[in-house]
Amino acid sequence: MSWFAKYFPNAVTMKSDFIQATGETLYMTLITAVVAGILGMIIGVGLIVTQPGGILENRIIYNIFDKIVNLCRSIPFVILLAVIAPLTRLIVGTAIGTTAAIVPLVIGSAPFYARQIQNALAEVDHGVIEAAESVGSGPMGIIFRVYLKEGLADIIRSSVLTLISLIDLTAMAGAIGGGGLGNLAINVGYSRFETDVTVLAMLIILVIVFAIQLVGDLLARRVDHTA
Amino acid sequence: MTNEAIIELKNIDVTFHNKGQTVNAVKDVSLTVNRGDIYGVVGYSGAGKSTLVRVINRLQPPTAGTVVVNGQDILHLTPRKLRAARTKIGMIFQHFNLMDARTIADNVGYPLRFRLSKKNRQEKVAHLLDLVGLSEKANDYPAQLSGGQKQRVAIARALANDPEILISDEATSALDPKTTSSILELLKRLNKELGLTVVLITHEMEAVKEICNKVAVMESGEIIERGDLVSIFSQPKKPLTQDFINTATQINQALEKIYKQASALNLSDHQQLVQLQYVGASTDAPLITELYKRYDVVSNILYGNVEILQDTPLGNLIVVMSGEPDKLQDAWQYCQDAGIKITHLKPTDSEVA
Repeated sequence: MSWFAKYFPNAVTMKSDFIQATGETLYMTLITAVVAGILGMIIGVGLIVTQPGGILENRIIYNIFDKIVNLCRSIPFVILLAVIAPLTRLIVGTAIGTTAAIVPLVIGSAPFYARQIQNALAEVDHGVIEAAESVGSGPMGIIFRVYLKEGLADIIRSSVLTLISLIDLTAMAGAIGGGGLGNLAINVGYSRFETDVTVLAMLIILVIVFAIQLVGDLLARRVDHTA
Repeated sequence: MTNEAIIELKNIDVTFHNKGQTVNAVKDVSLTVNRGDIYGVVGYSGAGKSTLVRVINRLQPPTAGTVVVNGQDILHLTPRKLRAARTKIGMIFQHFNLMDARTIADNVGYPLRFRLSKKNRQEKVAHLLDLVGLSEKANDYPAQLSGGQKQRVAIARALANDPEILISDEATSALDPKTTSSILELLKRLNKELGLTVVLITHEMEAVKEICNKVAVMESGEIIERGDLVSIFSQPKKPLTQDFINTATQINQALEKIYKQASALNLSDHQQLVQLQYVGASTDAPLITELYKRYDVVSNILYGNVEILQDTPLGNLIVVMSGEPDKLQDAWQYCQDAGIKITHLKPTDSEVA
């Protein structure tokens, strides 16, 4: 490990900080992924089924979902962090810390995921939906047994994309008080001119991203039977 | 074939509104299909045939009219009852519409989930795959199958609910002629063995000719002509119907070639180019020989075609008859008396009856 000590002189003394920061990043990512995943999935499916020509066409609900998604996606994440601090305080009790970061992270990533889900499900052939209707499937059957089943490979790919962009967001949230690898990279590495800390934090994030990409690709390939 | 109506469409209108434009896809169409029929609906793309049949299972709600299927008023059912009614109306599509993420067995078993136990479902799926001759493909995915095989899977899926009606929406249009024949044979067999009523939408009269017992011809949202297969083929009234039939029997193509040669034939006053059409028994008489024996009229056959429709032969001959003018008249009279329809063709004609 001498080469490590040579190239990462500061980082090598901060083992426990890195472990904690990595844990925090994974914690933020995981909790947000679950909450934003469920929310985004519901909104995405809602958009698909209520859109004009959808199986539960409903102009009002579609427009509400559509506008919310567009609005949330238009706000730059850094500004969103500050703007919703009062809401965060209301929900979590504080606006600072890893758990507090989850609120803006969910609001920042759920609409993005919803749009991804909508796009993934839009790829499901309308003829297949019609075939399911013709054998007597109802809306719930079509959502769970056709849309989510047929769109699964694309849903996995979208989820990977969203997860990766989510890690990007956790770094940003971390830098302004949320903890995690972003905090380490900016508030320690950058501020104290300990460049090796910044680089190591970045490398760990890269490893996490590659791992997610790899697992996602494998899963998507496994469920994709189109070719 | 009984005379019990299984599908009754009355005064169906379907109007689409799109960006300020109004399209009347189906205009005041009434159609009755009897149990056991194989009813062909023919027309060019955009004639409204798909829209019309989608009204039968309310995939397309009509703007006006009534739909009664199996004694049930389809337009006034609750969503739950509509879904139950749809299980009795199978449907197959031009592009098969199979689920790519499911195996063949899963595709066929899709309608049976929640309706049968796992064991019964597997047995039923195996039986259906056997019926369409694809047992060995049960664990493959649709992407691994040919077009004809995919359509067989779609048929098996459509039959999973034991429907009484099968709607075929251009189901053979994406297939090659040989595969088309085999799919049509399968539909005919299902009609015979299961008593399945089939509504066949197509733009190919050949498909209708092979299996249908009744035909309706659609143009611009209306049914312009309908009837049983043999009478439509032997006495088409509307130009569009004639056009479809001539394409199916390939007379159009034959005539085109004959007309090109006609100047070369150099017909004299004693020669006439005629088309003879005959239905049923009159095909049995040795006509050409009779004409020569009785009237000294020599017939030179340029083109001949016999279709067997619903076990009834339907013949078409294009001949050059040569003889004395008055003998020719007698010969034609003889033909007419024998129930043969004669059309005098002039090489300049572009259309035939």
